[in-house]
Amino acid sequence: MEINSRPVVVKRMPERLNSRTAREFLRDVQPFLHSDRPQLVFDLSQVVQLDAAGVEMLLRCMSEAHKRDGDVKLASLSDQAVVVLELTRTERLFEIYETSTDAARSFSGFLPNAMRQQLLHNKRPAAPMAA
Amino acid sequence: MDIRGLLLVNSGNSREKDSPFLASGPLGTLQVAGKTALDRTAERLQKFGISPVAAVVETAWTQAATANAGPAGLNSVKVPPDRFWRAAENAFNDMAQNGAELVVLVRLGAYAEIDFERLVQFHLDRGSRVSQVSHQGQDLEVFCISASRRNDAASLFRSRLTRCRSECPRMEAGGYVNHLADAFDLRQFAVDILTRQTQTSPAGDEIKPGVWAVRPAMIEKGARVLAPAFVGASARVRTGAVITRCSSIEHHAQVDCGSVVENSSVLPYCYVGAGLDLAHSVAGMRQVANLRRGVTVEVPDRTLIDLVSATSGKTFLSSAAEFLTYLPRVAWQGMISGGKQPQPDLNAALRKTSPALGKAAGYETPACDTEAAHKFPNMVVVRSNGNQ
Repeated sequence: MEINSRPVVVKRMPERLNSRTAREFLRDVQPFLHSDRPQLVFDLSQVVQLDAAGVEMLLRCMSEAHKRDGDVKLASLSDQAVVVLELTRTERLFEIYETSTDAARSFSGFLPNAMRQQLLHNKRPAAPMAA
Repeated sequence: MDIRGLLLVNSGNSREKDSPFLASGPLGTLQVAGKTALDRTAERLQKFGISPVAAVVETAWTQAATANAGPAGLNSVKVPPDRFWRAAENAFNDMAQNGAELVVLVRLGAYAEIDFERLVQFHLDRGSRVSQVSHQGQDLEVFCISASRRNDAASLFRSRLTRCRSECPRMEAGGYVNHLADAFDLRQFAVDILTRQTQTSPAGDEIKPGVWAVRPAMIEKGARVLAPAFVGASARVRTGAVITRCSSIEHHAQVDCGSVVENSSVLPYCYVGAGLDLAHSVAGMRQVANLRRGVTVEVPDRTLIDLVSATSGKTFLSSAAEFLTYLPRVAWQGMISGGKQPQPDLNAALRKTSPALGKAAGYETPACDTEAAHKFPNMVVVRSNGNQ
């Protein structure tokens, strides 16, 4: 079985995420978003200012990634970022990790429960039958 | 017996140094459930027959301190910071000259519900010149001073209430005490007032059980205010907004359409944008103190959190425009929709993202469309950290 071998792109977000910097950032990540099944991790540890335009850009990235069967995950959220994401009810839309490494690892580690159980079942020796 | 009250309000309270909302003055002068701690303390002194009550307020803080008229009989003196302690001493001397026998001195900071009758009795029984109140071993800046002992009073004022010239017995206070040192204390104070843990009550009228409002508060049709809650004078809760779990919306604050304010305090003149989820927080002065995370962040985006101007013509013009266009809007909505507007649903409101996010506002979590969501329609399905 093929385990995920596609690259995970980790991008550090700028300190101030307003409409201008959000546009620039979106332009930077556009090529990755347009690839097949994009896997992106945004590191928000440096973010000290996040406004509605920045949140909108994050949602747009996620929307684009979902269209191509990929995903965008967030990591190392600063206090500012957490508070604004909670305030705008968008934190529930993203998978959020403590570190970028955890977020990147989660792309390869994730398997749907049904598939995981099937794999375990296949690997496990047959259980002894009750007499 | 002639007993008078003296209240002091100034900066320099060491407990308040980390407070994020100091731009508007000490937390004792911020309105909580419609009244400041200054007003509540003055009212309490008067209730115990301690009258008249004078307040010495540092100039830098007077705007917040005198935002409302305060209780009747509170004589407020405004002084610049460099003359504050001299003015406090003069106010004490004036009281002594005018026949006061005892002066009860309270410095805000902390809000304490002290049995002043017991304090006076304690002072007289001990025959002391100055008595102080303590709470759980910590000294409060509440004193009872014999007016004839001017030297002792002068020593106390000159040391900024840190040193007594003679022996100063402590009376342990048993009532409610809130140090009002940070945003957490401010929020706790609102919760305690609304849940009636304190002897003081919210300002205004109880419009339905547990919901207090001060006229002319504006709660629009379709907004939900769930008890216990408080809506201050000229505050506005717009349609689709939900105010719940001991939240207080102070005077002139605005909660825009579809926002949920849960277990939070919205400070005076604060605007909370449309479709937001303000939970476990204190919002005001373009800042949000998230109490669950213990952080205070500045929110520069004015579509999210803003400051409503009390005096600008802009407020007047927008109100006038809204008034003039109200009837045409209602008529137009009636022609278009034809039916009754549905009641806002809390779960639906929570699922939506903020309209402040523009085009992305309509993006809903895929988790909401799962089989579980259809099976349990009243359950809000969310994705949180990791794969939980």
